[in-house]
Amino acid sequence: MTLDRPPVRHRKPAAPELPGPAAVLLRLRAPAAAVLVLAGALLPWASVVLPGGAYPDLATLQFFDAPHLVTGFRLHLVLLGLAAALLPRARKPAAIGVIAIALVHMAFLTGLGALSIGGPVTLAAGALLLWAARAEPPRPRMELKTPPPAVAWLVLLVAFAALLWLVSATLTAGGQSRATNPYGGAEFLAFLGFGLAVAGVLSAYGVLAWISAMSERHRIFSIAVLLGCALMLPFTQAGTGYWMTVASSIGVYAATAIGLNIVVGLAGLLDLGYVAFLGIGAFTAANLAHAVPFPVAALAGAVTAGVFGVVVGSPTLRVRGDYLAIVTLAFGEIFFRAAQNDIGGLTGGANSIPGIPPINVLGLAFNEPVGGLPGGSRYYMISVLMVAGAMAVLANLRRSRTGRAWLAIREDEDVARAMGVRTGRAKIVAFLVGATLAGLAGAVFAHKLGTVGYESFDFSESVTLLAAVVLGGMGTVPGAVVGASLLFVLPEKLREFSDYRLMLFGLALILIMRFRPQGLVSSS
Amino acid sequence: MATLAQQIVNGLVLGALIGLIALGYTMVYGIIKLINFAHGEVFMVGAFGAHFTSAYLLPDAMPWYAALPVLCVAAVAVSVTVAVLMERLAYRPLRDAHSLAPLITALGVSILLQEVVRVFYPGATAPLPFPRVFVDSQLTAGSLIVQWTGVLAVAVSPLLAAALHWYVERSRLGRAMRAVAEDPDTARLMGIDLNRVILATFVLGAVLAGLGAVLYGIHYGQIDTTMGFQNGIFAFTAAVLGGIGSIRGAMLGAFCIGMVKSLAGQYAWGGAQYDYVWVFVLLILVLMFRPQGFLGRLERVRA
Repeated sequence: MTLDRPPVRHRKPAAPELPGPAAVLLRLRAPAAAVLVLAGALLPWASVVLPGGAYPDLATLQFFDAPHLVTGFRLHLVLLGLAAALLPRARKPAAIGVIAIALVHMAFLTGLGALSIGGPVTLAAGALLLWAARAEPPRPRMELKTPPPAVAWLVLLVAFAALLWLVSATLTAGGQSRATNPYGGAEFLAFLGFGLAVAGVLSAYGVLAWISAMSERHRIFSIAVLLGCALMLPFTQAGTGYWMTVASSIGVYAATAIGLNIVVGLAGLLDLGYVAFLGIGAFTAANLAHAVPFPVAALAGAVTAGVFGVVVGSPTLRVRGDYLAIVTLAFGEIFFRAAQNDIGGLTGGANSIPGIPPINVLGLAFNEPVGGLPGGSRYYMISVLMVAGAMAVLANLRRSRTGRAWLAIREDEDVARAMGVRTGRAKIVAFLVGATLAGLAGAVFAHKLGTVGYESFDFSESVTLLAAVVLGGMGTVPGAVVGASLLFVLPEKLREFSDYRLMLFGLALILIMRFRPQGLVSSS
Repeated sequence: MATLAQQIVNGLVLGALIGLIALGYTMVYGIIKLINFAHGEVFMVGAFGAHFTSAYLLPDAMPWYAALPVLCVAAVAVSVTVAVLMERLAYRPLRDAHSLAPLITALGVSILLQEVVRVFYPGATAPLPFPRVFVDSQLTAGSLIVQWTGVLAVAVSPLLAAALHWYVERSRLGRAMRAVAEDPDTARLMGIDLNRVILATFVLGAVLAGLGAVLYGIHYGQIDTTMGFQNGIFAFTAAVLGGIGSIRGAMLGAFCIGMVKSLAGQYAWGGAQYDYVWVFVLLILVLMFRPQGFLGRLERVRA
C-alpha cells in the first residue's frame, strides 16, 4: 500500500535568541521545573485519610510529622527531580517518569475523591520539565569505552544483580492483593513509570548501550550470570508462594510467546489462533499425566502440538498475508469449539480435566515447599529453564540458514523465492518450531495448574499473546519475554481494573502500531 | 422434509443479514486491501445505537412504521460515526506502514469497541432484548414457520446490494472508488482525492451494517456484544467465498454461508454445536483451493 506518504517532518528551527530577561527566564525553566518536582513530592497528595487506610507513602499532611520519611513514590519523585537538576541529559526521561507517576496517582486519588495539590503541582512541573528538555538542542550520543574483562565481568554482575532486584521490586510493588493493600495498583503503575524513567536516564548516558556491548563481548559469561540471576528470584523478597506461582505462569506464557515470535516476528506469518497449540500441548499432557512420567508427557504434548502446527501451517503454501491470518483464526476457533464440546472425550468439555498430578521427579512433588523455599518455586525454576531454552532456540535459529530464509520471506516472499529460498519448507518449519514450543509450555501449564479447561484457550488469549509479541518487539529475542511479563503481570496487579483488561489491550495494540510499531525492544 | 424447508428458510434469512455486513468487508478490502476486522463491531454498535434509541429516547407506544425508520436512522448514525472515527484515527495514519500493522490495528479496534460497549453500555454484559418494531407474527404453511421479519430481511438485503451495485457502477464517486481499487497511485494522479474516496467507502459499508443491525435485532429479538465478531467472521467468509471486491459475489457467498450453517447444524456430524465449525472448514477450503472465490478475479502480484 503506497497511498499517502506522510509529509517529511522537519525539526523546528531553534527559536531566535531572545534579549534580556526573557532569555534568562527561558534558561531557568529546567532548574525551576526540577525544584518544582521536589516541592510537588513534598506537598500533600491526598486530602484526607481514606477509610481504606492512609494513602501510601505518607501522602497526606502526615509528612510534616516525619519529614525524613520520604518513601515510595515520593522518594522516586525526589530522585527524579534531583536527576533533572544535576544531569542535563536526564531531563527528558525524568520528565516522562514524573508525568507518569503524577498521572497514575492523580487518577487513583481522583477516583477516591481525595485529590490534593501535590499531584497537580507535580504534573505541571513534569510538563514544564518536558518543555524545557524538548527545547534543548540534540546532543551527540554518549559512548563509553569497553573496559578490560575483569572490570567488565564485575560491571555485568552488578548490572544483572540490579536487574534481579528491579524485577523482584516490580513484582512485589504494591503488595499482592487488594485485601492487603487497596492502593496496590497505583503503587505498581507508578513504580513502573519510575523504572522506565531510570532506564531512560541510563540510556541517555549510554550506560545501557555500554552494558549491552560488554555482554555481547562476554556472551557466555553474561548468559550464565543472567540465568543464575533468574534462578535466584525465589531467594529475593518475591520468593513467596504467590509470586512464584505468578512468575511461573508468566514463564509458561513467555515460552509460548517466543514460539509465536518465531512465526509472526521472524517469518512474518500472522497467526491469530496460536493459543490452540498451548491447548493441544496441555490437553495431551493432561490425558497422559496418570500414565507416564512428566518428561514423556511433555514430549508427547510438544510433538502433538508440532504435528498440528504442520497441519495449520500447510495452508501457507497456498494462502498468504491477511488470508493466512484468517485461516489461522479459523483453526483456533475450530479447536476452541472442539474442546468446548469435549471432542472424543479428550478435553472434558465444560467439566475440564481435573486432578492432574504435579510434576514428580525422584519422588519429590513439585508443588511442595522445599528447604526455605515456598511451594511453586520449582515450577518457577522449570519455567525459567524452559524460557531460557526457548530463547536459545530463537537466537540460534535467527542466525541459521532457516532463520535468514524467514527474514527474507517476511520482507518479500516473491523476492525470497526468486533468490532460491525454499519458501514453502521454511514456512512450515516456522509453524512446526513455534507450535512445538507452545506444546511444551502447555504440558508444564497443565501440570502446574492441575486442571485444564477449554476456557483458557479462547480468542482473547491468542490476542494477548500477539499483543505480547508486538509490544515486546517483533522478531527480537528478549522482546517476547518482556511483552509477556508485562501483559501477564499487569492484570495480576490491576485486579480492580480486570473489567478493562481486554479494552486496554485493544487500545494498546492500536497505539503501539501507531507510535512504536517496532515495540519496546527494537531489533535495529 | 419440513425440517429441511425450515432450515432453508433460516439459512436464507441468516444469509441476507450476513450479506449486508459482507458488502462492507468486500468494499473496504477491494479498495485498500485491509481486512477490516472491526467492521463486525460497526454492525454491533449500530444494533446498540438502535437499542439505546428505543429504550431511552422513544416513547413506549409507537406504531412500528414510525419506530422502525427512527431505529434505522439511529443505527446508521452510530455505525457511520464509529466507522469514520476508526478510519480517521486508526487506519489513515497507517496507510504506509508494514503490512501487518493495519491488520493488528483492526484487531485492536475490534476488541476495543467490543469491550467499550460491554463495560459501559448498561446491561450489555448479558444479551439484551431488542424491541420488536415490526409485524411480530408469522406465516405458517403446514409446520413451516416464516417470520415476517425474516421476509423483510430477505427482501431488503438484495435490494440494498443492488442499490450499492448501481451506485458503484453509475455514480461519480463509485467510479472514483473503482479507479482507486484498480490502482491508487494512478487514480491520485488523475485528481481523485484518495482520502475522500476511502472515507466514503467506509461510510457506505457502515450504512449497510447499521441497517443490517436493525434487521438482525428485530428478527432474532436479542443483541449482545459478541454478535459483531461472530457475524463479522461469517461475513468475511462470505466475501471471500463470493470473490472479494465483488458486490454480487458477497451476496451470493452470504447466502451460501447461511445455508451451510443452518443445514450443517441440522444434518452434519456433531449437530448444532459444530455448525460454526463447518463455516470455518468451508472458509479454509475456499481460501486454499479457490482464493479468488466464485466471482472474483485472480489478484495480480503487485510490487
